[in-house]
Amino acid sequence: MPESDFQRALRALHEGGVEFVIVGGMAAALNGAPVDTLDLDIIPARDEENLARLLRVLDAIDAIYRIHPSRRLKPDANGLVSPRPHNLLTSCGPLDVLGTIGRGLTYQDLLPHTVEMEIGGGMRVRVLDLATIVALKEELAGEKDLAALPILRRTLEHKQRGSE
Amino acid sequence: MMDEEELTDYSEDGVDLTLIRSFLSLTPAERLDIVQRHANAILAIWKLNAGK
Repeated sequence: MPESDFQRALRALHEGGVEFVIVGGMAAALNGAPVDTLDLDIIPARDEENLARLLRVLDAIDAIYRIHPSRRLKPDANGLVSPRPHNLLTSCGPLDVLGTIGRGLTYQDLLPHTVEMEIGGGMRVRVLDLATIVALKEELAGEKDLAALPILRRTLEHKQRGSE
Repeated sequence: MMDEEELTDYSEDGVDLTLIRSFLSLTPAERLDIVQRHANAILAIWKLNAGK
C-alpha cells in the first residue's frame, strides 16, 4: 500500500531527527477516534538544535506558507522561533507547525500526556493522548472544538472501558 | 519574509481558511484520493497498535 501524505511527512521528520508531538485531528484519528482530518499538526521541541533540524526537513519537503502559495514564502529560522502557527503546504501535503496549543502548552508541557505509537516501517512517533485532546477541547470550548467533542468523548469512553 | 500577521488566516471561530482554500483548489478526484489514502493509512496504524 503506498504511503499517505502524512506518513511521508512523518517519515521525513523522523528521519531528520526532529523531536515533535502529533496533536490536533490527526492525533485524535491515530488514537482511534473516527474523525476525518486532512492536515498534520505537530508541536516541535523548541530548542535551537531541534528547530534547525526541523528547518532542514521543511526545506527538503518544499514547505511554503499556505496563505499565498503562488508567492512560495518559505519558513525561516527567525520565523520558526515564534510560537505562532505556521500553516504550511509541503510535498507531503498540509503541515501545521505549532508553538503551543490550548492555553500556551508547549512540547515539554505535553510530553507527559503523549503515547508512543508505531506507524509502520519501524517508525514510532509521539501522539497526544485522547484524554488530553478532550480536556483541551473542553477548555477551549470554541464552536469548532465543541463540534468534535461528542465523537472524541465516546471514543475515549470505549478505550477506557477496553483497558479496565 | 512577510509580516507575521499575514502568514495565517483563521476565521473568528478558529477555522483555518488556508486549509479550506488549499483543498478547494484540488479536483474532487484528487480530494477523494487524499481522503482514501489517509483513511487506509489510519486503519493500518490502528491494526499495528491494536490492543496496546
